[in-house]
Amino acid sequence: MSTAPATLLEASDIGITFGGLKAVQGLSLRVPTGALHGLIGPNGAGKTTAFNLLTGVYQTQTGSVTLAGTTLSGKRPHEIALAGLSRTFQNIRLFGELSVLDNVMLGSHLRGTHRLIRTVFRTPAFVRQEEAMRERALELLGIFGLQGLAAEQAKSLPYGDQRRLEICRALATEPKVLLLDEPAAGMNPSEKKSLASTIRSIRERFGVAILLIEHDMGLVMDICEHITVLDHGQVISAGTPRFVQDDPKVIEAYLGVVEEEGTGNGERGTGKASLGKASAG
Amino acid sequence: MKTLAQHTKDVPASRAFRPAVVFLPWVACVAVAFAVQLVAPALFDDYWVNVLRRVGVFVIAAVSLNIVNGITGQFSMGHAGFMAIGSYIGASTTYTGSLLLHGSVGDDSFAVQGTMLMLGGLVAGACAAAGAGYLVGLPSLRLRGDYLAIVTLGFGEIIRVLLELTSKQVDTADGARANPFAAFFSFNGPTGFFGTPAYASNFWIWLFVAITCVVAYRLKRSSSGRAFLSIREDEIAARAMGIDLTKYKVRAFVLAAAFGGVAGALFSHTGVNPSPTDAGFQRSFDIIIMVVLGGLGSISGSVLAAILLVLLPEMLRGLQEYRLVLYAVLLIVMMLVRPQGLFGVKEVWDLWGAKRKARGGTP
Ligand SMILES: Nc1ncnc2c1ncn2[C@@H]1O[C@H](COP(=O)(O)OP(=O)(O)OP(=O)(O)O)[C@@H](O)[C@H]1O
Ligand SMILES: [Mg+2]
Repeated sequence: MSTAPATLLEASDIGITFGGLKAVQGLSLRVPTGALHGLIGPNGAGKTTAFNLLTGVYQTQTGSVTLAGTTLSGKRPHEIALAGLSRTFQNIRLFGELSVLDNVMLGSHLRGTHRLIRTVFRTPAFVRQEEAMRERALELLGIFGLQGLAAEQAKSLPYGDQRRLEICRALATEPKVLLLDEPAAGMNPSEKKSLASTIRSIRERFGVAILLIEHDMGLVMDICEHITVLDHGQVISAGTPRFVQDDPKVIEAYLGVVEEEGTGNGERGTGKASLGKASAG
Repeated sequence: MKTLAQHTKDVPASRAFRPAVVFLPWVACVAVAFAVQLVAPALFDDYWVNVLRRVGVFVIAAVSLNIVNGITGQFSMGHAGFMAIGSYIGASTTYTGSLLLHGSVGDDSFAVQGTMLMLGGLVAGACAAAGAGYLVGLPSLRLRGDYLAIVTLGFGEIIRVLLELTSKQVDTADGARANPFAAFFSFNGPTGFFGTPAYASNFWIWLFVAITCVVAYRLKRSSSGRAFLSIREDEIAARAMGIDLTKYKVRAFVLAAAFGGVAGALFSHTGVNPSPTDAGFQRSFDIIIMVVLGGLGSISGSVLAAILLVLLPEMLRGLQEYRLVLYAVLLIVMMLVRPQGLFGVKEVWDLWGAKRKARGGTP
């Protein structure tokens, strides 16, 4: 509260329309250095689309995105990754046929130099870099308890490990800001608990800012310092977890949806229940 | 955690340079070349020694196509076009070069210089094919799947038609000297280019087979190789990890084309006259079948599949007209039993290692 850290990632008024559907509209975000920000909202609120706008999968139709002062909007996804924005995917996108180790080594590709001649003749410069990539990858895998699986095919891993591996691979790119899209999805309570502490320790250890999409309100409220709430593509609330969970607009977005669609809706019901639990705690 | 750049600097020199790992493969290349050259005539008659040359050419073609179709996952159907470019440029370098420098072609007294010309032709053929690969690759690799297949198929056909339009071969020293440039590109239209001496012995062919394999394998097992493979696995994830898709696709395409050009240039020095139909889709399909059969992404798989698919029709020759049917049935059975090809993305020795691991041996 006392000292406001410098803004690292800033999105101002970004948005995109898909054939009349305003998936994201007028979204503004400020993620300071070292922050742990949450991005929440009911299903279809536009959270993943917001990530896609930030990482250049979609071009924003309005506004702009800057990272540490450089403009990201208009750049291509690989340039944005190079600028220091890395992400995981809601529907896991690992390189399935490759080994766990290769997945993480590929993550550090963008920080290396890759000359054909060096590769073919296995020059010392090439070998050095390859060794460094391997060591870093193993170190990262170690942090996530995956080092024993280094030689396995990525697609053969259990769900929770695949999610951890995606975070690992994203960290290998040496990001300034890490975007996590529902990293706890499909994990059991004990896995979620250890994920929460892992996310906290990542921030300390790598000095990255984290922007987190997550449906598990307990997790989000627990680890985030600041939360932005999206509904129907628009920001309906933003602030500290305490502020957000007591905000009538947020409660309405979650509860209102439940009323509209009936009580049988599992996902949204869970959202409501977790929100309630978090407010109680 | 240290950055990659720092980490790279901190790797000790002792681990950065291991001469055995660096140089032995090249020594092995020369050894393979000598072995095939010397051993083959002792075991087989002339016919089969000649078949071995054809085998080698198709191994190079299949392994190079695997770089783009297998490792990078971009379905190119125009590989024969690149081979044909290499074929003609290579053949004409030797042929027209001999006319210009020696006045005649295929003289025994000119064999050493002729072989040098052939090697020059290999380089020229590879460069021309690579250039064509770049020109075709840059625009068309923005296309996906089926569209890329169609464009590359069209490329092969365009090369075939262009070759048919070339003028009559210049076969006199005076003719060549009058206009060397025109003579060089007079590829003799639909009839094909005649009279290139068969300088590509098994030594040269298998030397380049081995070099191609070492290069392809080293590529696959490197950061660039991982970039190629990541594109094949998931383009969206690859982009998000900072891989410049266009750059790496074009790289794969150009490399494959260059080695395809080498294969073609060698082929036109085995006593086979290059003709425009060599650029057509039939030949491209033959090579694609080898790559798919061996396993998309498996270098050793491509090698074995190419050997098998060149030798098989030869071995089935006794069965006369039934051999094509048998060949087709065999392929269908293979694809039903192992749709991922013989080895998938793995290498032969990986499977052996996996078996050992499963039995509980030391890794
Ligand atoms: N490429 C696209 N084309 C058309 N519509 C899209 C596209 N991507 C997203 N949408 C729509 O935009 C809206 C927001 O989707 P988005 O995936 O961003 O939601 P979300 O907040 O991530 O939801 P969830 O919690 O289910 O992951 C949805 O209505 C979705 O159908
Ligand atoms: Mg989503």
